[in-house]
This record gives sequence, C-alpha cells and structure tokens, in this order.
Amino acid sequence: MARRRYHDGLALHQALPGQFLPFLVAAMSFLAALALAGGIAAHGLSQRWTHGAGAVTTVQVPGPDDPAAGSGTRIAAVQDILAHTPGIITAHRLSDAELRSLLAPWIEQTGDASLPLPAVIEVHTAAGQDPMPPLLPRLEAIAPGVMVEHDSVWSDRLAALAASLQACALLAVLIVMTVAVCVVMAATRAGLQTRRQAIALIHSLGAMDSYIAGRFASRVGLLALVGGLGGSLAALPMLLAMSHLAAPFSAVTDAQATAPVDWRDPRAWADIVPHALLWMLLALPPAAGMTGWVTTQLTVRAWLRRLP
Amino acid sequence: MFRLHDVSYAHGGSARVAALSHISLDVPQGEFRWLLGPSGAGKSSLLSILSLEVQASAGMVEILGVPVMQARRSNLARLRRRIGTVWQDFRLLPDLSVFDNVALPLRLQHRAEDEIAHEVHAIMKWVGLENRLDARPLQLSGGEQQRVAIARAVIYRPALLLADEPTNALDERQAGRLMAMFHRLAELGTTIVVATHNDAIVEKYPAPAIELAHGHMVRDYR
Ligand SMILES: Nc1ncnc2c1ncn2[C@@H]1O[C@H](COP(=O)(O)OP(=O)(O)O)[C@@H](O)[C@H]1O
Ligand SMILES: [Mg+2]
Repeated sequence: MARRRYHDGLALHQALPGQFLPFLVAAMSFLAALALAGGIAAHGLSQRWTHGAGAVTTVQVPGPDDPAAGSGTRIAAVQDILAHTPGIITAHRLSDAELRSLLAPWIEQTGDASLPLPAVIEVHTAAGQDPMPPLLPRLEAIAPGVMVEHDSVWSDRLAALAASLQACALLAVLIVMTVAVCVVMAATRAGLQTRRQAIALIHSLGAMDSYIAGRFASRVGLLALVGGLGGSLAALPMLLAMSHLAAPFSAVTDAQATAPVDWRDPRAWADIVPHALLWMLLALPPAAGMTGWVTTQLTVRAWLRRLP
Repeated sequence: MFRLHDVSYAHGGSARVAALSHISLDVPQGEFRWLLGPSGAGKSSLLSILSLEVQASAGMVEILGVPVMQARRSNLARLRRRIGTVWQDFRLLPDLSVFDNVALPLRLQHRAEDEIAHEVHAIMKWVGLENRLDARPLQLSGGEQQRVAIARAVIYRPALLLADEPTNALDERQAGRLMAMFHRLAELGTTIVVATHNDAIVEKYPAPAIELAHGHMVRDYR
C-alpha cells in the first residue's frame, strides 16, 4: 500500500516534469562552474605572479666608493649584506656600460657625462618572499641615502587584472543564479497553475501551506540537485583540460608542471586541478538543490496567499 | 456549532457583486438546518464562508469556537479538518481513483494506510459503491459522483458538515438514505447545513430552515 502514500492529488511528476528543469539547471550549473573556475584560476595565477620569481628589486647606492661606516667602501658593504640574506637569489651590480645605456635618454638631454652616478644593484628574490624591507635600516646605516625600489608596476597591473577577472566571475555567477531562480519560479508557477484545482481542494480539506510548499520544494530541490550534478559532471572534463594547460603557469615546481598525467587515475586529477576547484564542483549540486528548494518554498507560499 | 453576526460578502475584488448582506445566525452543536432560497439567493456563498473557502467582507464569523476573522493561517487549516463539505460541483480529482479521492482527507492527516483502507471500504459500502473503488470519477454517473463526494466529506467525521444541493443527482431512495445518514450524524453531535432549492424534499423531511433571498435572510426557524 506504500504505492498509495503520495496520492494526494498534486501529481507533481506531471506538474513539474523531470526533463525540462534538470536540463536548464544543468546548463546553468555548467556556466557557473566555468565562471567559478575562471575566478579561481585568476586568483591562483595572481598569487603566483604577484609573489612570483619575476620580482625584481633595485637598490641604488649613492657615492658607492665613499668609505662605509665600518670598513671598506659603501658598495662593497651593501653587496656583502645582500649576499648573506636568505631569500635573495642574485644581487647583480650593473656595470658602468649597463648603467649608461639605461640612463642614455637622460644623460643625452642634460649633455653632461661626468655626472656622479650611483651604483645600481638588481636583486632577484625567491618566489613568495620579500626580504628587502627588514634590511632597509641596516643598509641606511652603512650607506646613507640608499634607495630600494620594488618594481611593482607589473605585479600591480597583474593583481588588478586578476581582481577584475575575479569580479567578472562573481558577477557571472550572480547572474546565472538570478536566472536560475527566475527559471525555478516560472516552472513552479506553471506547475501550481496546472494543479490549481487539486491545490484548492486539498487546501479546503485542511492541507497546511507548509505541506503543499514542502511537496513542491522537495520535487524541485531534487530536480535541481540532479541538474547541478549533471552540470558539474559536464564541466569536469573541461576544467581538467584547462587546469592541465594552466599547470605550467601555476604549478609550484617545474617538475609538477611538466609531469605526464595518467588520466585514468582520479587521484592524478586531484594533483592537477586546484583543490578549490574540486570543492567547488562538489558544492555545486547541493547549492543548486538548495537554491531550488528555497525558491520553490517562497514561490508556493506566496502563491497560496490567494487562498484564504 | 457556528455563529455569524452581521456578515456581508461580495464576490470579486473591484467589480463587487453583493452576495450576502447583514446575515446573523447561531446554530448550536448537533443541529440540522435546511438552507433555502431560489437560485442566486446566496446559499453557496454562505456555505463557502462556513467552509472557510472565502472570508466574509464584514461582520463576525465564529466556527466551532474559533473566531475566524482573527485566526492564524495554520489554525484555519486545522479548523478545515473539522469541517466536511459536499460541493455542488463535487470537486473530485479526475486523475485519482475513487478510492484515492475518498482517502484524500485522511492522507492529508497522515493516517496509517491500513486504517485508511478500512475507513474507505466501510464508507464506500455505506454509499453503495464498494465495487467502484478503482474507477475514475469521470467513469461514474452524476449520482455516483455525488455519493463519492458525500463519502469524502463524512469520512473524517467532521464536527460541521456542509452540503450544497447534495440530493440533486440522487434518486428518491438514495436521497432518503442520505437524509437518514444526516439524521444519525446530527444525533452523534455533528452540526449540519444542507442547501437546497428542492421544496419537495424539504416537505418530506421537515426540519428548521434558514431562508435567503437576494442575499438577505428572510426566515430563521428555530
Ligand atoms: N464567483 C462569483 N463571482 C461573482 N459573482 C458570483 C460568484 N459566485 C456567485 N456569484 C453571485 O452571487 C450571488 C449569490 O450566488 P450563490 O451564492 O451561488 O447563490 P445560490 O447558491 O443560492 O444559487 C448571485 O448573484 C451570483 O450571481
Ligand atoms: Mg448554489
């Protein structure tokens, strides 16, 4: 007799057919997954770029050949400190020729070649580290007037680019969610409309709003969950491929970036896909289901208000 | 029991059609009332106020001790479970079997399935349709549909039973059986209001009556 349990006249499999809604939700989950993946990728790349191996700092030492506070010349003392600081990979003093070619436009303008030039040291720091700020007081003590300039124009631009990509991704997700909510509302309203006589009847027989809304919401929630699952599964191969392509730019080690991938092993996928992306794919179906459930609850309860 | 005080009702939002004006009534528990009046007098409108399908436009309505105008939605839903209604147009769900139609009120109260089956078989035997349980309502004659509607209204032993022209499609013998059932339910404490414009049946089964004309109350026998 369990067969009869849900014969309450709502006939939801007719009112909310099982093909239309899951398909639309799957399509929108797919779009949301791509947008989120874009956002996560932008975040990952910006992390790498802004703290990346490309970070160059220039140190200008005026009066390089003046005696330092301790012993020797100022430039020698500065180079000595830089050489013994962990996190600094290379500290290369630009030769006079390099310096003059760098300064050529200004020197030609003033026409004065005998201007006393400061020494310039190009410092490459290790990825993710910025050892320069704590050094400043020490350098200042040895060589008054020393100038440390972090070449942050590019990393700032990249950070801004990454931030705007992330904002775009967020906007896309919000739009997709809004569309999803509208679609669920429209489908629910259509379902309510086709079953309005049955709903009016069970309402007069004493069915609570919570019962009717709950019946519709569990159906829509389930359909949306299935749709979200479909969208996540459809997005997975694409995200795997994209992550694989992006690996050289975001991998922590070069070995990891170029290692061949065994595509049959899901654990290998976890290595190339950022974990945030995997969590996002896992969270998408329940999020779609919850969105459908909540939207339907509110839609049905608002609709039922027309009945006294 | 129910009480109305100075109740008015108009159909439709802006293009208002006055259906009831200044109705005051007091029907105690376990009483039977005819609700009389020509077609268009407002009988169905009055029943739809009593069955909580519509809200009165003005006045005071108290049903089974609950002041309806102030009650919360969930309390109204609970109150509806104590009111049985036989609608003039039956309101059977065409895509459910006769069994499921009659079982509907009990299902909404989450009764156990074996209890439901027992109750449905008993009441359908009483209305003489125990062998049509698997039929669809549209496969039944008008009289049979009316009996299904009656079975659904009484299966949950309502404290207030409202019937709108319930003998319309019944033959004389079935109408007699129905009147006997109403009599017995009233004895058991059910308050019953039966709307009809059929003078013959009222003459045959005399009982106190409320009479409407053009939405006004013209008589209230006690
Ligand atoms: N849904 C409705 N919309 C507008 N007017 C209605 C509606 N139902 C009934 N009426 C009008 O209300 C008045 C009372 O109708 P009703 O209560 O059905 O009378 P009865 O049941 O006594 O025949 C009639 O004038 C009728 O035309
Ligand atoms: Mg009528």
